[in-house]
Amino acid sequence: MSATVEEHAILDPTLAKPFPQAVLPVLRNPQLRKNVAHAIDVIQAKRAKLVAEKADWQELRTAAAAIRSHALDNLAFYLEQFETRCTAAGGQVHWAADAVEARQIILDLLRKEGASEVIKIKTMTSAEIQLNPFIEASGIRTYETDLAEIILQLGDQEPSHIVVPALHINRAQVREIFARKMGLENLSDDPKELTNAARTYLRRKFLDVPTAISGANFLIAETGGVAVVESEGNGRMCLTLPRTMITLAGIEKVLPRFQDLEVMLQLLARSATGERMNPYTSLWTGVTPGDGPQTFHVVLLDNGRSSILARPKHRQTLKCIRCAACMNTCPVYRQTGGHAYGSVYPGPIGAILTPQLAEMHHAQSLPFASSLCGACYEVCPVKINIPEVLLELRSEVVNQERKQVGRVLDPMYLGLRIANLIFAKAWIFHSAQWFGRIGLRFFTGKDGWIHWLPSVGGKWTQTRDLRGLPNQTFHSWWAARPKEGK
Amino acid sequence: MSVTTPSRQQILGKIHAATQPTGNQADAYAALPRPYIRRGQLSTQACLELLIERLREYDAEVVECTAAELPFTVARQLAGSGRHIFAAPARLPADWLTEGFEWLVDNGLSDAEIEKAEGVVTAGFCAVADSGTIVLHHSAAEGRRVLTLLPDWHLCILRAGQVVETLPEYFDRCDQPAALATYISGPSATADIEMTRIKGVHGPRFLHVILVRDGN
Repeated sequence: MSATVEEHAILDPTLAKPFPQAVLPVLRNPQLRKNVAHAIDVIQAKRAKLVAEKADWQELRTAAAAIRSHALDNLAFYLEQFETRCTAAGGQVHWAADAVEARQIILDLLRKEGASEVIKIKTMTSAEIQLNPFIEASGIRTYETDLAEIILQLGDQEPSHIVVPALHINRAQVREIFARKMGLENLSDDPKELTNAARTYLRRKFLDVPTAISGANFLIAETGGVAVVESEGNGRMCLTLPRTMITLAGIEKVLPRFQDLEVMLQLLARSATGERMNPYTSLWTGVTPGDGPQTFHVVLLDNGRSSILARPKHRQTLKCIRCAACMNTCPVYRQTGGHAYGSVYPGPIGAILTPQLAEMHHAQSLPFASSLCGACYEVCPVKINIPEVLLELRSEVVNQERKQVGRVLDPMYLGLRIANLIFAKAWIFHSAQWFGRIGLRFFTGKDGWIHWLPSVGGKWTQTRDLRGLPNQTFHSWWAARPKEGK
Repeated sequence: MSVTTPSRQQILGKIHAATQPTGNQADAYAALPRPYIRRGQLSTQACLELLIERLREYDAEVVECTAAELPFTVARQLAGSGRHIFAAPARLPADWLTEGFEWLVDNGLSDAEIEKAEGVVTAGFCAVADSGTIVLHHSAAEGRRVLTLLPDWHLCILRAGQVVETLPEYFDRCDQPAALATYISGPSATADIEMTRIKGVHGPRFLHVILVRDGN
């Protein structure tokens, strides 16, 4: 791999390092940070312009939030309705309790088709269940067809964003990957030429490979239909040319009615890519004789979602329509990119979704990877109060840690217990200040600043200096000041 | 058919336990707030102009004509494309099939045959000015999905009466929910490399629209 790309990221929450450690290689990689910041700046500028021109933006958000909440509050009803209607239209509906079951269902379907290759439309849900490595291990080749996903697949990279997953890779790096993997030595780093290389690379695959896998942006209960939004036309190719289509969708993706798209589609593209509308939206219902795949399967995936549903304050997490506006606006994501989150879902939504999908057994550092500034809530097209959920999850993590054996010996924990005692009584507080002033004198430099502290204090001085304590506190100055009329 | 497995019962059971639904979904749905704009405010003429402006922003080429001028306008667009072999949906109006070109009419063309077409001419269901979106419901005049996908050049002919201003107005025009639909907003594009917009990845790279002014 080219030297400017970071070490291989791990996006499996059960294996990933905690956020503060995972973020270090990124912070030391100026090229990566530059790539991320550039992409984010472009999307943000476009989004701001197009949101501003929409007079009813807030009203659309209100409607979208209500529709999504309603769908989740009545999820069993709408899922069963979707199943009935989709089945009546010639589709086959499968239910997968977890990633293991979903992968097995899909592999069995592929085997039944006798598939040796499969073409794929970008789907984060498939990345969530780590579908590609599983299928490939069984001898079936997967071909990603979204340009960003091709870059990642050929470059052996992981996605760092849910809408533009290769935004951490620049054109020179793409050229290097394509030149090596497609055998095109004379390729330039012009994005147009690189895009054309991908078009040529995939054209025959679209026409020849008879089986495709997609995700779903929306499932429509009323009709049993599925909607996929995309830009490149690779989605339309996969949805139209193969004989067999397998769609993997989280159970939360359901919308009550066809007409609800009038709200969602106005919000989604503007929020995601700063376009008035994405170039292509495809909608299909079961099987249409003579048009498109004649065998259609939908795999409905739970994988932790129903547990999130059970908790009223957390349920809103599932309203997400995966637009990525929250990560684009997040001051933390802008500095770190996506890989540090150790999940296919990075940014603020990932910080609440990932630990919950892992049922709080993994990714406990993520709810703390936020400054709680609230920018994510402000831009969210379905009004997920991400800071509220972050705080809930933080308290759950603290409660988990409290129960850990050996917790009392942790310096942070000890420090907080001591602080608790000190703040309890004024005389203890004043004595502590006196001792602190004396103690800190040993660490205060000639310039009046503290550059180094031992133990937990070092966490502060690692990255910033601390001003030495003044000789007099405000309290003692106030008490000793010359008083009027005396 | 639906595949009933223990997981189906388990997932639905968990959801039931989690949500305690009231069982009156229709009323709850009807009560959802919808304060957004349904109807546009523009005059018919301004609405058409907005559509044209939006389409041109997407690098689509738009020409206007009258119903009487249509066959001539189609011929001029086809000739101007420098292409010769065109695909057409089964029920494309006969006077759009201009002479002097090779037509592949889709009475069950194979993908390989459609792949040979250098362009395709279709009707559309509707167009939304606000977002510059062309809506196809894939009727016999709009063509199967594959027909507007493989050829690199797409000419879509729309009557002024098919143009609405807002997206909700399109949904109001649907007598029933569409089973099959494609919404096209500009030619195929990507911004996956450094957010640089590149026109034309896999779908048609060239989108042309003829707007028939006096057509309802």
